[in-house]
Amino acid sequence: MPDDKNSKSLSKRKIELRAISEWISEGERVLDLGCGRGILLNELARRKNIYGVGVDTDFDKIVRAIKRGVNAYHGDIMDLLSAFDDASFDWIVCSRTLPELENAKDVVFEALRVGRRVAVGFVNHAYWRNRLTTALTGDRIVNEVFPLKWDSSRPTNAISVNSFKEFCAENDIKIARSHFLRGDWETPCKLLPNIFSGYAIFEIFKEKRR
Amino acid sequence: MNDSDTVTHAEKYGGDVGIVEYSDFYCDEPLDFELGGRLDSFNVRYETYGRLNEEKSNAILVCHALTGDHHCAGVYSIRDKKSGWWNNIIGPEKPLDTNKYFVICSNCIGGCRGTTGPSSVNPKTGQRYNLTFPAVTMRDMVSVQERLVSHLGIGKLAMAIGGSMGGMQALQWAIDFPDRVEKICALATTSRQNAQAIAFNEVGRSAIMQDPVWNGGNYELARVPSVGLGIARMMAHITYLSDKGLDDKFGREHKKIAGDEIFKPSFEIENYLHYQGQSFVNRFDANTYLYFTRALDLFDLRNYGGSLEAAFKNVEAKTLVVGFTSDWLFPPQQNREIVKALLRIGKTASYAEIKSDLGHDSFLIHSPKLYNLVEYFLNA
Repeated sequence: MPDDKNSKSLSKRKIELRAISEWISEGERVLDLGCGRGILLNELARRKNIYGVGVDTDFDKIVRAIKRGVNAYHGDIMDLLSAFDDASFDWIVCSRTLPELENAKDVVFEALRVGRRVAVGFVNHAYWRNRLTTALTGDRIVNEVFPLKWDSSRPTNAISVNSFKEFCAENDIKIARSHFLRGDWETPCKLLPNIFSGYAIFEIFKEKRR
Repeated sequence: MNDSDTVTHAEKYGGDVGIVEYSDFYCDEPLDFELGGRLDSFNVRYETYGRLNEEKSNAILVCHALTGDHHCAGVYSIRDKKSGWWNNIIGPEKPLDTNKYFVICSNCIGGCRGTTGPSSVNPKTGQRYNLTFPAVTMRDMVSVQERLVSHLGIGKLAMAIGGSMGGMQALQWAIDFPDRVEKICALATTSRQNAQAIAFNEVGRSAIMQDPVWNGGNYELARVPSVGLGIARMMAHITYLSDKGLDDKFGREHKKIAGDEIFKPSFEIENYLHYQGQSFVNRFDANTYLYFTRALDLFDLRNYGGSLEAAFKNVEAKTLVVGFTSDWLFPPQQNREIVKALLRIGKTASYAEIKSDLGHDSFLIHSPKLYNLVEYFLNA
């Protein structure tokens, strides 16, 4: 992979993590679903003294998370979530994880049970460039965010801003706030996010029945 | 912070600690056992590698498994063909780096390799203890290790580490001495011995106790219940391996089987197990085998408070648990459970699972993945 592409995706990753970490307060309890190398939790632990737990299925990433001193659980997201009582965490972070899951709905529901708030971040598949590529070539875009072609990339569910909102409405999931970023993942996107945002973050919660 | 750091396994596995010798710690402060019974004094045989730093903050305690001992690294002489049982992980620039750390390993109480156990002579009677030796539990093993650690002037261990029964001891350390251990690393282990594992142990004990030579534990050291102990070892050894591991190593390799000698061991695996049984008899005491397997059966951390969470309530040690996919003695699920319980009560704990075909014994075998995990966890 060329260096500039690599660093571009690196900075996007940083921006994305910064956006989510801004929502999290000092000393909170955070569970990161799909924690990767534990970068977000490590940053939050250093800057906000949070108690963090991460889960990932990738051994090499878990090893890196352990090296960073992050609490890392190597295994299935649902398996770990089922170990926790209701509202055990202040935040559950689901950053670019949902598109990779076969059971995204189950995971969101479990996350809403175990976390008081859930932060979901995903690449907006309905972003105009993604649409344009698909319209012109019939294929999914290949860029710094999706560097690999279909023959070697992991399966990815296409999620758009609108379809995520619909999913929430259908399932009585409330959206507390949302944050849209333009194609550079840096500039806030105010206008028609379903078309003009490259990356979207939602804070969702479920009203507990009394 | 670097998102793109790739895992590079350095293709070097460090050096050896070289020629080592054991030491003895004679403790004349009485020891009261968890299930009753007392020793007025006892001996602990141990080895150390590396140097204890001035702050005495770099000590790692290695805890051995059922049939292990204090000799976990190095050799006793240049002619010694076999090095200590965990030589692959202990040494200069190895994961338990003896250039940086002071590594201690002692033979467990109740053992037969120099630490006081059933085959030792009771100074009060002049006779061997045999079955008059007090019942031993994991807590007893760890409390004796604590005596040794204190004797060496160490306030807090940098880490306690072990696999299988050694992993149980590491967990017990975190529970019994929360302020005396910084990190624990438990491999291929469990928070309680399940029915299947107890079942295997009982078969082994039955083989020993039904050997007429055993004689209620009062056998002569010149004539030990080698048939029973050998069979116990053969059977147990199978539980340390796996279907695929055995098939890869032995398959159906065999000598031609003659019609008039069809029961003569001819398959490679048969010869291997007989060899394992025989060599075990020469180095291990049958009564210690009974005591240690019982200590395993009795192991259930839920005894300390009613639940794992209650048992772990005061744990301060950072914990790493590692499971191995093909381990059917203490399967991954039992390893995961430990970490889940710790995380449920807000402790610092991680779990990693290593893909391996080599069964329960995977933790003893050359594995760069395991080396990385242990090294990173220790130095994080």
